[in-house]
Amino acid sequence: MARLAEAHGLFGVMTGAGDPRTAITAAVYASTATDFTRVIVRVLLGQEQPVTIAEELAVLDNVNNGRTVILADTGESAQRYMASGAHGVVYRNVTSPSLVDCVRKVARGESPRWKVPAGLPANVTAPKAIAVTPKPAQLEIPFWLTGGAAGEVAKPSHLAVLARDAKAASVERSVQPAIAAITGTLEEDRETVIAWAAAGATHLLLELPEGAQHEAALAMISRYLAPEVAMPNFPRVMSTSKVPLAWPGDGRG
Amino acid sequence: MRFGVGLFSLQCTAMQPRHWTGAYRDMRELASLMEELGYDELWLSEHHFFYDGYCPALLPAAASVLSVTDRLRVGTGMLLLPMYDPARLAAVATDLAERSGGRLDLGVGMGYRDVEFDGHGVSRKQRLPRMISGLEVLEQAEAAGGPPIWMGAQLVDPVKRAGRRGHPILFSAALPFERCRTLTQVWEEGWAESRRSLAEKPALGALRNIWLTEDRKEREAARDWVRASYVQYAGLGWTLPAVGDHQQQDYAEETDKAIADTVETTITGSADECIRQLQQFDEIGIKHIAFRLILDGEPRRALESQLRRLSDLVLPRLRDKVPA
Repeated sequence: MARLAEAHGLFGVMTGAGDPRTAITAAVYASTATDFTRVIVRVLLGQEQPVTIAEELAVLDNVNNGRTVILADTGESAQRYMASGAHGVVYRNVTSPSLVDCVRKVARGESPRWKVPAGLPANVTAPKAIAVTPKPAQLEIPFWLTGGAAGEVAKPSHLAVLARDAKAASVERSVQPAIAAITGTLEEDRETVIAWAAAGATHLLLELPEGAQHEAALAMISRYLAPEVAMPNFPRVMSTSKVPLAWPGDGRG
Repeated sequence: MRFGVGLFSLQCTAMQPRHWTGAYRDMRELASLMEELGYDELWLSEHHFFYDGYCPALLPAAASVLSVTDRLRVGTGMLLLPMYDPARLAAVATDLAERSGGRLDLGVGMGYRDVEFDGHGVSRKQRLPRMISGLEVLEQAEAAGGPPIWMGAQLVDPVKRAGRRGHPILFSAALPFERCRTLTQVWEEGWAESRRSLAEKPALGALRNIWLTEDRKEREAARDWVRASYVQYAGLGWTLPAVGDHQQQDYAEETDKAIADTVETTITGSADECIRQLQQFDEIGIKHIAFRLILDGEPRRALESQLRRLSDLVLPRLRDKVPA
C-alpha cells in the first residue's frame, strides 16, 4: 500500500486503528516506500506503555528517514480517556510523564528526562534520571490528535486535531489534517475534496470504499482528486485528457 | 551449521559518530548483501536510555529488515522480556512472523541494567517472575504459530531452565569456548529433564568474535575494533559472573582485564584456522554461529570485505555439514 501510495505521489498512508501492531505495519511501510510518503502511525492512548510507545516511534522515525506522523487516538469516549490515567497521571508507579507528554517530547526531539524511582541501594553510581534515545530523525515529528477527547487534550497544547467534519477544520492552523470517506464515484468525491479544501484542510486522508481495488482507487485519487484541489480553478482537461502512450511492453496505459 | 551476523544495535557512538537514519539504512543494505552472500541469520540487540541510541525497539527494526529481504531470518538477541507487556509483545511478534513467512526468531533475555527496569516502571526484583510469566505467554503464542523462542543466558540456573523449557540459547561472544562447553552440558541436563522427544530438540547458537585474515596489521585493527566494542559494556555496566571454574568478567569494575580477556576469544587467522575453531562448536552441539562483526570503529568497507571473505572461504566448508 505504501509503495503504491508513493507511486501515485500521495503524501502519506495511515496504519491500523490503534492496534499494537501499528509500529510493525509502519516499519514495513517505511521500508517499502523510501522517498517521501509519510507514515501516519495511529497510537491508542491509555492502553499502551508510554515509554515503549515513545521508543518505538523514535526508532520508526529513524527507520523511515524522518517521515513519521503521530496520530494519537484518545478512543471514542472522552470520559473514559480522561479517567484512564493516560492524561497527566503516572503509569504503573513510574514517575514518567503521561503518554501525551512523553510521546510529544520524543516527537520534538526533546528527551523526556524523568526521575526514576530507582531503589538501588547497592548501586550509587546508577543514574537517577533517564532519557528516551535515539532522537527522532525529524526536528519535530508532527503530532496530531483524534478521538473523543482530542479537542480537550489539544486545547492547552495547541496540537492539530484530525477533522472529521468540515466545520471543525481551522484555517488558522499551519497544518489542518482531516479525514473523509470517498465513494468511488468521481463527481461525488470531487465535491468532497473541494469542500474540505475550502474548509481549510491541508492534509486530507481518504478512507477507501469497502472492497475497493487499491490500484484503481489510488489512481483515481492521484489523477483526479489531488490535482482538483492543488490549485484554485484546476483546468480539468489536465486530468480528463487521454493518458500518454506507454513504452511498448511496460504495461501502462 | 547455519551462519548469521550480529549484533545490529544501531548505535551512533562517541568513537564512530553518524546519524541514526544512516545506521538503519546501513542495516537494511547489509541485510540484502548478507542474503546475497548466503548468510542465514541477522541478529539484533536491545538496550534502553543509552546515550548512543542503542536500539530500544527491536521489532520495528526487525520489520524493516524483513520487509527488504526474502530468505534471511532475523532474530532478537536479546529482547528484554520483563520490560514488556507479554500479551502485546506476543501479538506483535506473531504478526511479524506471519507477515515475513516465519522468518522471525524471538530471542528474549532478562536484562540487567537498573535504569531500564525503572524507566519502564518495572521493579528489578520482579524480573525473574516477569520473565517466567512472560515466557508462558510467548510459549502459548509459539505453539499457535508464533515465532520460535530463543533465550540469552550465561548462568547455570537460567541455562538449565531454558533446556527444561526446550528453548535454544544464543551464547554471548564474550564466553570463551570452554565456558560455552560447560553451559551446553548444563542445557543438555535441563533438556534431558524435560523428557521431550528428540525430534523437538533445537540446535544451540553462539555469537563469535571472528576476523578471517592472515595479515598482521588487519588482525590488529580487527582485534582493536573488538576491544572498542566491549568498552560499551563497561558503560552499560555488564558483568559476566563466575560459573564453576570460569572466572567473573566485570566490565564495570575491572574494565581493562575483562575487555582483554574478551578480545582473546576472537577467532583470527587463515580460513583453515577459523574453520578448525568453529568446528569445535559444531562438535558440542552449537550449530548456529552468529559472527559478531558489527564493531565500534570498523569501516563499512572492512565489514563488507569480511562478510565476503567468510562467505567465500568458510561457509561452504561448514554449512550443513551437520543439519541444523
